[in-house]
Amino acid sequence: MTDFKIREIMVPLSEYATVREGATLLEAVLALEKAQEEFEHYQYRHRAILVLNRAGRVVGKLSQLDVLRALEPEDASNAELKQLMRFGFSPEFIRGFRKRKRLDGVPLQNLCTKAAGLKVEAFMQTPSEGEYVEVDASLDMAIHQLVVGNHLSLLVTEGEAIVGILRLTDVFAAVFHLMKECQLT
Amino acid sequence: MKALKSLLDRIALRVNINLRELEFDVVPIARHLVPLKQMTKFYAFYGITPNHPLSLEFRHSSLAGSYFLGRCRTNHSILYKTDIRGDELQIKGDTFTFGGHSITLSEDEMIDVQDSFLVKTLVHSYSHDPESRERFFITNTLSCHYANIHGSPIDGSFLGPFATVDLTTMYDCAIGAYSYIQAGEIGHFQAEPGTVWARSRGDFNFVYKHPVERLKTYIHFVPGKAPSGVFMDFLEARKKDFERVFDVVNLQKPKGIPANASLDRYAVIKPKMHIAENVLVAQRAYLENSWLGKGANAQENCYILNSRLEGYNVTAHGAKIIDADLGRRVFVGFNSFLRGRPDCRLAIGSGSIVMPHTIIDIDQPMHIPEDHFVWGMITSAADLETNSMPLADFARIDGRLYRGNLLFEGSGEAFVTGFQKRIEHILLDNGALFDGKRYKGHAQRNQNISVNTIQPYPEGRLKGLYPTIIIQP
Repeated sequence: MTDFKIREIMVPLSEYATVREGATLLEAVLALEKAQEEFEHYQYRHRAILVLNRAGRVVGKLSQLDVLRALEPEDASNAELKQLMRFGFSPEFIRGFRKRKRLDGVPLQNLCTKAAGLKVEAFMQTPSEGEYVEVDASLDMAIHQLVVGNHLSLLVTEGEAIVGILRLTDVFAAVFHLMKECQLT
Repeated sequence: MKALKSLLDRIALRVNINLRELEFDVVPIARHLVPLKQMTKFYAFYGITPNHPLSLEFRHSSLAGSYFLGRCRTNHSILYKTDIRGDELQIKGDTFTFGGHSITLSEDEMIDVQDSFLVKTLVHSYSHDPESRERFFITNTLSCHYANIHGSPIDGSFLGPFATVDLTTMYDCAIGAYSYIQAGEIGHFQAEPGTVWARSRGDFNFVYKHPVERLKTYIHFVPGKAPSGVFMDFLEARKKDFERVFDVVNLQKPKGIPANASLDRYAVIKPKMHIAENVLVAQRAYLENSWLGKGANAQENCYILNSRLEGYNVTAHGAKIIDADLGRRVFVGFNSFLRGRPDCRLAIGSGSIVMPHTIIDIDQPMHIPEDHFVWGMITSAADLETNSMPLADFARIDGRLYRGNLLFEGSGEAFVTGFQKRIEHILLDNGALFDGKRYKGHAQRNQNISVNTIQPYPEGRLKGLYPTIIIQP
């Protein structure tokens, strides 16, 4: 039976899309595209960008959802939507309200132009305690962290340094492989 | 005054514990709401009538300028110029229906104020909480100037100035200034200033948000400062008229008042007033140069100036009507502020309903046709167009309405008929329909109320606090 090591299935930090603090969302998206082109032999695409501080340490993670969140008009109507849920309006009512606001709102193209210049810090997620896994930890421990924390990836540490990203998709591929092996034996 | 200060701090901390989830801090609010030296300036008073059960119990409380009627207990609380009006409390043997079952009250209902600080607040009606019908509780709560607690047991909450909680049980909530909440039961909820929310689960949901910046002209409240704006200016300008009413022991009763009408001795009545039969004027109401037709009422903290109300009008707690002409059976909801001008009057047609916490403030004449429903902030004809509708049209809504700042979902018919039934109940309770034999109400029952006064320690550590006082028949 194959004994998968985290080190073997993680994506090394050097191969991952990264940007520095202060970068714009457009720069982050371009970094993602570049990383994808350079490592296009991967079956699965990168789905996030890491944000590094001046010292090169990971301070945040920007997912595809975070980038899309930047397109949401963070204005009074958005706050209103959150409030509507608290007042107990039905999902249909809220959908209708959202639709009205969208119709009255800014076209998507304009939103994209505006979002492109926003700073990554405003949308990145700061990794929580459960998003780090030691490079020597067992794979089942990593699976536990992914499942319990509902994460799409974990940051792999070696001592103080972050050395790679353990992606859900790679863990899934490993587990899938093991399942098939079990079936054969 | 050490004990009073320590009591105030204790109450504020208790409220804060309840509001920790909302991260709402009442300490800076509580400390600046009323200077503590005011607490020794005013006596408290209570009414005795043969028509209402009497049981009052005050322990370790400060009650400056507050009024009590019926059955009430205060414990470790500060009540400043607050009215606890227990004339609608339910009594032993009364029944209520819940889930198809009829349940009997096992004892007389009591308003129970514990660990709370209420400022110029009106507490009225009876507990509408099916889980607590014998005890109308107000615990761990801070309420600010001119708040209304109407049939609403409350625990661990904050009410901003001019906020109203109506027929709603509330736990751990912060209700912003000039917000109106009628929602059955809510918990851990924060309402921004100027939120008007009326909900009947399964029937309708009505939410209106006053425009924030425009509302600040009328009521502006920040922690550490007294409330300010048009509402406060209006009330401050008439404060002196109340001093005479409270200072003089035997006031001359105005002449020409019909025997079946009731004018509370703590109301201000200025010339020239016309009071018709079955009119009810509650304490702290203010009337000047106005006509109140048969069965009209002016509830607590109402101001009616230079206006004509044709009859069977309900002017709910805290509503103000200035330079206006109202047809018959016009309902003006809690804390509404309707202001015409001497040269451009406001006219509201018969049968219309003005939603609680509505502001109409005009500098051009305005006419609202009969049987209309009006809500929100109206200072122009354009506002009226957005914030009003014939009642019949509103009753036809079946689904959704998005209109200006109003959001409505459910049955318009349930909303309108619910309102109309409630208005009829109010008229009945107030004695507006009394025919000489039947339908006696507050206007007839509240005519002969004896009033006694009680006072706090004048000096020393307990200055401002009242000794334990138990008053029973």
